[in-house]
Amino acid sequence: MKLGDFGIFVIFAAVYAAGTLGLPKISFMAYQIRIGEIPSAFVALFGMPAVLGLTLGQFIANLGLESKPIAFLSPVFSFVGLLAIYYTRKMSTLAGCIAYIVITGLWLSVMLPIVRPEVSTSQAAISAFAEQFITVIVGYLAYLVAARSLGKPGQTSGPQ
Amino acid sequence: MQRRWAQGSKLEHVAETVHGEEVEKHVPEYYEHSIWPALIAFATGIALTGLFMAFKGLIVPAGLLMMLSFAVVLIGFLYSDTRNWSSVVSKSFGRIPRDSIIGAFPVDINLTIQLIILTELLLFGGAFGMYFAIREQFTIWPPVGAPILDDFIPRIQTLILISSSVLIEWAVWQLKQGRITAFKAGLIGTTILGSLFPVLQFGFEWPHLILNGILTPATGFTGASFFLLTGIHGAHVVAGLMAYAFVIIRAFMGQYSAKNYGFVEATSTYWHFVHIIWLFLFALLWQGSRILG
Repeated sequence: MKLGDFGIFVIFAAVYAAGTLGLPKISFMAYQIRIGEIPSAFVALFGMPAVLGLTLGQFIANLGLESKPIAFLSPVFSFVGLLAIYYTRKMSTLAGCIAYIVITGLWLSVMLPIVRPEVSTSQAAISAFAEQFITVIVGYLAYLVAARSLGKPGQTSGPQ
Repeated sequence: MQRRWAQGSKLEHVAETVHGEEVEKHVPEYYEHSIWPALIAFATGIALTGLFMAFKGLIVPAGLLMMLSFAVVLIGFLYSDTRNWSSVVSKSFGRIPRDSIIGAFPVDINLTIQLIILTELLLFGGAFGMYFAIREQFTIWPPVGAPILDDFIPRIQTLILISSSVLIEWAVWQLKQGRITAFKAGLIGTTILGSLFPVLQFGFEWPHLILNGILTPATGFTGASFFLLTGIHGAHVVAGLMAYAFVIIRAFMGQYSAKNYGFVEATSTYWHFVHIIWLFLFALLWQGSRILG
């Protein structure tokens, strides 16, 4: 990552962390929708600084939200999911977003019943996949709008 | 291409008396081989060790002597170096030609800002390390009696920092495109937004907590760590604003262009770093005061 990309990295980390911690919480079944996850699709436009920024942002958000150590593994799975979006950006960003939903949804289905024992596995799976689907697809639609003005993936790494 | 603007008085004499190609190839800079940064850093380490020894009552005279050695080094530095400061500053401001192809600073700015960020990482890493090490000693977190902090002002501060980070990134981008007016507007906007941060922190948040007795530096570990961490961070925000003031002055002197933006980019990098530290503080000190561990 070049020095000039540091700003993009920080802005994405801030958007995730502040969007999750600072904005009002939206509950969806057993899970709380994380507004900070909406920009995930923008990885296709802004590249690796956005991948690293969103991963760090999730780690920071977990510092303020979660107390169980297992929750701090979430950024690892998000990182893998974001890499999927990054590496598929020239073929199909939508496919990358779906891969992200599957990876993070599976992880949340496993983690949620551990962090919150009152939540059953099936309930956790349904809410996790639904929540991830809603946030990521909303982000994907925003990405489509932004991509028209900023250019196709791989042709720009955003304003630097 | 002239590089005279970076030199102190001794080498300025060389630059003015030697003409032709040799001057254009290389003029050694006054600070290139200074021993003072390393010496002051070493003396600071000695002084802190001495301070620790004196406070702990280990070997008090030796500790005091070590602190004295730092004072001697500092006086030596000030005596030998301050005479050149006015000259260096005036040259730095006044002699950078417009549209110069050289960087906005006479050294490799990338390496400089990387070293600065590294030292800041060590500083904040130490502070956060202290925080977590002591927090681990508590069986219940937050400790019994610790207040749940209202996060209204910190939310505004977070919004301010995000906005200022986006704005300075936009301003640097405008500068690289050669749009100087837009760059100046973004720069001023960033500085105004950034100025609100310490105003909110030191003018509203701290007085609100201290004067109402909600949280003071004497309120156990939570109070002490809160004011230590937010104080260090606030000082860094003020330092960033001072750097922006410097950048604004030079911007209005026409010293930045699409080819000459190194110092602006370095300042924005520092600002982004200060921003990311704030995110950790916001998560740990305000939001973290709500979760039970």
